[in-house]
Amino acid sequence: MSVGLLSSALRALCLSGSRTWAGPSAAASALVGCRGFMTSVCQLQNRTLWKQREKYTIRPIGMKKTGGRDHTGRIKTHGIGGGHKQRHRIIDFQRLRSEPGKEQPVMVEKVLEVRYDPCRSADIALVAGGNRKRWIIASQNMEAGDLIQSCRGIGRMAVLAQEGDAHPVGALPVGTLIHNLELFPGRGAQYIRAAGTCGVLLRKVSGTAIIQLPSKHQIQVLETCVATVGRVSNVDHNKRIIGKAGTNRWLGIRPSSGRWQRKGGWAGRKIRPLPAMKSYINLPTASARA
Amino acid sequence: MFNTTMQRIRISASTVTQICKSKDCLGVLIMIPHGRRCLSSSSCLYGKVFPRQKPRVVPEIAGLEPVTYADRMHFVPGLAKPRFPKWERGWKNPNHYESPKPEEMKLFKDKPCYIFNQRTSVVEGVRQALWLSKSAVIKEFPAQILSLAEDPANQIEDQDERVQNAIKSALLWDTTDDQPPRERYCPMLVHRLLHLCGVLQVRHPELAKRMLAEKYNLAATWRRGEDVFQVRGHNGLLLNSMNPLPVLAGPEQIQGTADQELETFFPIAPTIDLQCTNVYQEKSTTGFREGYPCPHAHTLYVMEMGNTPKLLPEQLRAKMIMFCFGNALVRAKALYGDEPRVLEKPIVVQSVATNGRIFQFVVFQLNTTELQSDSGVKNLVWVDEDKPLYEHAQARAHIKRRVVKIPAGLSGYQPETFKKFLALFLHGAT
Repeated sequence: MSVGLLSSALRALCLSGSRTWAGPSAAASALVGCRGFMTSVCQLQNRTLWKQREKYTIRPIGMKKTGGRDHTGRIKTHGIGGGHKQRHRIIDFQRLRSEPGKEQPVMVEKVLEVRYDPCRSADIALVAGGNRKRWIIASQNMEAGDLIQSCRGIGRMAVLAQEGDAHPVGALPVGTLIHNLELFPGRGAQYIRAAGTCGVLLRKVSGTAIIQLPSKHQIQVLETCVATVGRVSNVDHNKRIIGKAGTNRWLGIRPSSGRWQRKGGWAGRKIRPLPAMKSYINLPTASARA
Repeated sequence: MFNTTMQRIRISASTVTQICKSKDCLGVLIMIPHGRRCLSSSSCLYGKVFPRQKPRVVPEIAGLEPVTYADRMHFVPGLAKPRFPKWERGWKNPNHYESPKPEEMKLFKDKPCYIFNQRTSVVEGVRQALWLSKSAVIKEFPAQILSLAEDPANQIEDQDERVQNAIKSALLWDTTDDQPPRERYCPMLVHRLLHLCGVLQVRHPELAKRMLAEKYNLAATWRRGEDVFQVRGHNGLLLNSMNPLPVLAGPEQIQGTADQELETFFPIAPTIDLQCTNVYQEKSTTGFREGYPCPHAHTLYVMEMGNTPKLLPEQLRAKMIMFCFGNALVRAKALYGDEPRVLEKPIVVQSVATNGRIFQFVVFQLNTTELQSDSGVKNLVWVDEDKPLYEHAQARAHIKRRVVKIPAGLSGYQPETFKKFLALFLHGAT
């Protein structure tokens, strides 16, 4: 904290502001204890170095648990700590990502194995296509040996959707169950990734599509955003019974405070109308259009 | 301490105090009206933690050079941090060596090469190895070699007993533990079995014209379609002989393979899992020098110990096929030159792989070096899969609920497996 105060004080003193050297933000965040001016050795923190890997690999990577602590060392989120050791498998959320140098409109891949992932509720599948292998979120009935497709184009007629295939939302028929939805084209799946979840494609309106998320909220995205057809695997995840306190501890959930606290207005079931549909289209504003 | 502090504050303040709790324990700000502060508790409870700020990105403007404090030789607030050129040591220090980028290396080529090394584990297994070596598979042990084993003249006295002794000495009599580690008993078993086979040298003097070699570097290059492929690295134990192995399949069978289609496995490319590199050298060497007395590769003994990486039986068979092919191809190039052709005298290389218990036998016959296209005469591979030599060999019996599940010592011995091992050893000498 004192370092932060000192550097902010220096920044206030300087006319043009102290310039931090333009390095990758990842390395800069790892270099804590480095003042704005040259001192002796900068201390490299390897707290987050395990997740700074740029190159994709299917090999599982050892994780460092934070225990809910932030960079100061104090608890930021209670109830996290302990639990079984986990290794992180890098999941490729962009289904349309082709091999470097080989751009194809349609990609076919073969599912090699479907396995449990300790880092998420859904199961993951190892798929191989061309010269490379990658991990993706498995859909409900995916098995080893299946062939899955990822298509880029939107035709005039809607595609007959097979489970596990990935198409742009504009190419799917209305009413299909989808998961791994992108919000912005090319950004990678951000929504509907948990076990057993699925969204419904409600309607398609002039270059956009309206999708109902598992929370019954409705969102509007561009039709070129890619989604995978079907439900996410591990459908009975919400029906599991933890059974004992120890199971929660194995999952890395520490006990909450046992103190009885009067619940306020935030507690209890709320019945209210759905919020307005959120639109992720980024249309130019009225002033820009004019 | 915190609770007593709270009580003190409550007592002192006349109006109601509000306690806001946020997720941050440091965000427990106690808002006391009239600006009265409680100085008796520690200040760290009141300090607000700022979120870590991302460093300010300084844009690079072409043509504009920032004014730095390099000339002044000390930090000056307001001036930019100077960027100095990379420091060169001036002399070569082997402890601090930075390798150049691949593009700057001497052997860099634009066309990538796919290398099969001793650590490769191909996902499609035998099918991929067959495509890479342009071969057709026959899933049985070759009959001519099997007849060698059945001949009683070729068998050792007390063969079964001596083989069982060899297994016991490698697995049971080596340590006082239950079982020695696989890295120990697997090579020991192979060496013991080879020694046992060598006992027949009395009857077959041709067996003396052989040599065992280990840790030799194989390098074989070939082109398939538009890609360059190589087999490199240490294979295992190689039995070399002065005379080449006799041909197994006749000319009719070889010509019959020309009609067979090579199996592809869409959507997986045949180059998957191979090491792809742009820095390579197109070498073809057997690993032995010119005057070596036993130039012909006879049998390759591959030992799979489960370390770096663990190979499943399918991948192990693929590795055997690829290395047999590599040995045969290099021999063909040494004898007949680099020109791709159909060989009049096909070259045969055998291979035995084991993980200490289960044996895989592969016999590879190289019929052609025309590997560019997918059609034409193919090479032949005989594969005999998953033959256990014994079921269990433990020092202590496995007893569950007073019932012996696995007896102590050696159990489930299969004499057929050693007969095949011996047959492959004797092939070419009788």
